[in-house]
Amino acid sequence: MRFEDISLSQVSETAWEIPRTGGMLVPGLVFASRGMMEDIVRDQALRQVMNVAHLPGILYRSIGMPDIHWGYGFPIGGVAAMDVAEGVISPGGVGYDINCGVRLLRSNLEMATLRPRLPELVAALHREVPSGVGSTGTVRLTPPEMNKVLAGGSRWAVSRGNATEEDVEFTESGGRLPGADPDAVSDVAKKRGLDQLGTLGAGNHFLEIDEVEEVFFPEAAAAYGLFQGQAVFFVHSGSRGLGYQVCDDYLDVMAAYMRKHALNVPDRQLACAHIGSDEGRRYLSGLAAAANYAFANRQLLAHQVRETVQRVLRLGPRDAGIRTVYDVGHNNAKFESHEVDGRRRDVLVHRKGATRAFPPGHPELPAAYRDVGQPVFIPGDMGRGSFVLAGAPGAMRLSFGSTCHGAGRRMSRTSARQSVPGKSVFAEMERRGVLVACTSRKTLAEEIPEAYKDVGTVVDVVDQAGIARKVARLRPLAVVKG
Amino acid sequence: MTRRGFRLLPHTADLRVEVCAADFPSLCAASVEALFSLLTDRRKIRRSGRRTLDSGSGHPEERLLSILRQALLLFSLDRFLVRDAGAIMESGRILVTVRGEHVDDARHSAYREIKAVTAHALTVEEGPSGFTARFVLDV
Repeated sequence: MRFEDISLSQVSETAWEIPRTGGMLVPGLVFASRGMMEDIVRDQALRQVMNVAHLPGILYRSIGMPDIHWGYGFPIGGVAAMDVAEGVISPGGVGYDINCGVRLLRSNLEMATLRPRLPELVAALHREVPSGVGSTGTVRLTPPEMNKVLAGGSRWAVSRGNATEEDVEFTESGGRLPGADPDAVSDVAKKRGLDQLGTLGAGNHFLEIDEVEEVFFPEAAAAYGLFQGQAVFFVHSGSRGLGYQVCDDYLDVMAAYMRKHALNVPDRQLACAHIGSDEGRRYLSGLAAAANYAFANRQLLAHQVRETVQRVLRLGPRDAGIRTVYDVGHNNAKFESHEVDGRRRDVLVHRKGATRAFPPGHPELPAAYRDVGQPVFIPGDMGRGSFVLAGAPGAMRLSFGSTCHGAGRRMSRTSARQSVPGKSVFAEMERRGVLVACTSRKTLAEEIPEAYKDVGTVVDVVDQAGIARKVARLRPLAVVKG
Repeated sequence: MTRRGFRLLPHTADLRVEVCAADFPSLCAASVEALFSLLTDRRKIRRSGRRTLDSGSGHPEERLLSILRQALLLFSLDRFLVRDAGAIMESGRILVTVRGEHVDDARHSAYREIKAVTAHALTVEEGPSGFTARFVLDV
């Protein structure tokens, strides 16, 4: 198959290789069905997979997930692992919203009993969980307290009584990335983050109430505490303005580094520095700090959800049973150990719009999940639902322990908005049985279900490719958006 | 003379903007206005405050990127909204003067969150009828 000057060879039912050409140091590898590939070739995402393959120190393949689409520099849905000694770190390989991610909260509540209370609950969540552009959180940080958040992540929330030890245990990396240095975060970035902690944001960020509709992998569902008919809560947010600013600040630093060292890459948004350089290490410290802010942010949001649900339903914590299944990011760069060409190596894995998906037996998993694999959450669109997956062994062989992160957009925001006026989205969602509360009608119109690929086809690809395994399908019943 | 204005070009996830103006300073000013048109209804912004943005030196793309980043920070950091903008060139630097006011939640509502102005696919071109810029906003 050819698209313009890009040659693609299908290497399995669910994988395509882009051979090395020009300055590519490794081939490209994209997970997709043939049908999905017809959508993928319509934008610049494949070209970006090839561009990433030019980065110094890249190992094995420049990888695209089935939800891949056009990003800036790296594609969204891209994975690239770099040799620690010779490779580079690129802010464009992480994204602006550093450690944007998803937390799933389970409950003791069955949807059948919760359903009559949904309108009241959604209104309360929309009122009490800050969302929308420019929203401010209930926590106003002082500069010293900000430094504690950046260094401590979810641990900071434990110290304030906004998180349990169990929340932290079931958060990726224990809710705190090592190596975070608050001094590596600019004053402007810190100022942007002072009053945004505990806010959802806008765009594709959301809070959702779902019903576990179908279970595919009962052992994993049982380990995660999920059962059919159960009410669960999804939180999708990231590092807010602080993270965006850290990315912007370091793109400039990296651009200067590249000029100084005469590094050439095909796109200036791929600006990078060697991992061991002062600039590279400084960005990694700032990245870890911003990632910790994101962990703390989702923790405060989860805490607010828990408190609100308990108050509205007049239930105690034990009866409501709202507990963290897992919290995992999908925009990050992390030091990990992987086998590459038969040799175990320390690598830096960039995941931009891709989720870590460690398989059963991985030492970084909480003991409760070690037999079934790491939980992975794939939010779909507002209408067609979402999936819970488990990391599978193939991910370690094929994708540096990574899988997809969402449905992936297929329609531009303009096309989405033009296809349906904001007002009728509410009616359409209600017709589909989904209550929606949102701050901006424009945002809502841009997020219509048809703007996204069918999440079911995306997860079928990663399941079939063996890089993650389907655990359960969730049906959305209420959505709060900014 | 090129009519000053902007339009959205196709982009799967973000906002790809094309802006036209007669000369480069006007292009920078029009780009700032386009940014705020994508944030809110500019007609509801009063011209009660004034700020000046300085592009510094560099290639046209770098100067435009610098102006747009500073403009976005006006909103993200100081909650200042821009109603209109004008620009002059001084010793190779572009000075953009914007007029507007701080956000008043009673009168202003934001259409969407713009996370960043990206350097990806950012171009400035001079043609027979004026200047054209294209840039991508991460939303």
